[in-house]
Amino acid sequence: MKKINVKFTLNGELIELEVQPNHTALRVIREQLDLTGAKEGCGAGECGACTIIVDGLAVNSCLMLAPELDGKNVLTVEGLAKGGKLTDIQQAFIDHVALQCGYCTPGFIMSTTAFLEENKKPTREEIEVALAGNLCRCTGYKRIIEAVEDVVNKRGGK
Amino acid sequence: MREFEYVAPKTVKEALNLLATYKEKATILAGGTDVVVRLRDEIIDPEFIIDIKHIDELNGIKFDKKEGLFVGANATMHEIQNDKNVKEFYPFYADACGHVGSKQVRNKATSVGNLCTASPLGDSLTPMYCLDATVVIEGPKGKREAPVREFITFVRKTVLERDELVLGVKFPYVECKGIYTKNARRHEVDLSNIVATILKVGDEYRIAYGSVAPTPIRLVKTEEFLKGKKIDDKVIEEAKKILTTEISPISDLRATKEYRVSVSQSILENSLKALG
Repeated sequence: MKKINVKFTLNGELIELEVQPNHTALRVIREQLDLTGAKEGCGAGECGACTIIVDGLAVNSCLMLAPELDGKNVLTVEGLAKGGKLTDIQQAFIDHVALQCGYCTPGFIMSTTAFLEENKKPTREEIEVALAGNLCRCTGYKRIIEAVEDVVNKRGGK
Repeated sequence: MREFEYVAPKTVKEALNLLATYKEKATILAGGTDVVVRLRDEIIDPEFIIDIKHIDELNGIKFDKKEGLFVGANATMHEIQNDKNVKEFYPFYADACGHVGSKQVRNKATSVGNLCTASPLGDSLTPMYCLDATVVIEGPKGKREAPVREFITFVRKTVLERDELVLGVKFPYVECKGIYTKNARRHEVDLSNIVATILKVGDEYRIAYGSVAPTPIRLVKTEEFLKGKKIDDKVIEEAKKILTTEISPISDLRATKEYRVSVSQSILENSLKALG
């Protein structure tokens, strides 16, 4: 099996590496690049624990083959905080205790990050639809939705 | 996942050459939301994956009233559901694409991929059936077109040859009102128990259902009965009876046969009342 050379931007840094075609983007990010924020939950595009942002859009990295990373601009949860300062979304999840075990949290945060770029003033229902591809088996979503609403209010539609 | 070679052609011609060489050893990858799951579960075992996403000719959604709508093989559900013309002239198709999987899935999955997967419950397929869409195919002998109703032949079976590629789907422009309905256990990220699109075109109705037969189907007898009729309770009751003669749903882990028949009738009733 021929390895594939891929070049892409990961959290603002240009990366070049060889990947195995039968690995997923998730596996490359976790095992070759040691960024373990994105998690494998279902491995079938249902739970969203592996959500990363590719060219501005939230996608399931478990459904993306490693060679598909070539030429892309990729953002993982590790790329959000700048100089040790969390983003308002990350901070809101902490303030609202919108997590228990935390396994799903990076996925929720990446979905929220992409979604609030696309829709600055979403309704509660729109938030629920945008996050429906992320499953949490601990908190029951109430606090997660409230954290997102808090970010929307504090940003004031900007 | 078993081993395979990955190739990413840049033109349709290049892709066709690869398909002609590899034939049944190759699997085409577009959005990958179905293919990657099947690779992972080792349901399919290709020697070559041909990723068509770098073929610019397959991108985009075009519309004008004379030619209708053309949805390229690489157009994602996200692009289709947000396309200005699809929203204005084919709102039920925008709705259908907006009900596939989750946001993450819609950002990758394509409607043409949904068609080629040929699942009886493909969420974006009943609008194609209602509009008698045409599948545009290219192979070594050139281009050909297949009516969507003839394209899917059975569960996960199509008339596509192993050396052919679907370039896109053409929808004629039809003045109509339409309603798309998906019944599932949860609103998002679920497979449909029943999926349907019902259109009113002039004084006729076009009715397409998914998950009630091995392929999506048009309910031609129900359509024939409703032609020119004024919708009232008596007509609806009769139409619901005819509907049951045209569908053959099965019981599976998602729903029973009886439930699917009942939901199919309710969808017909609600849609007819709303369309008038």
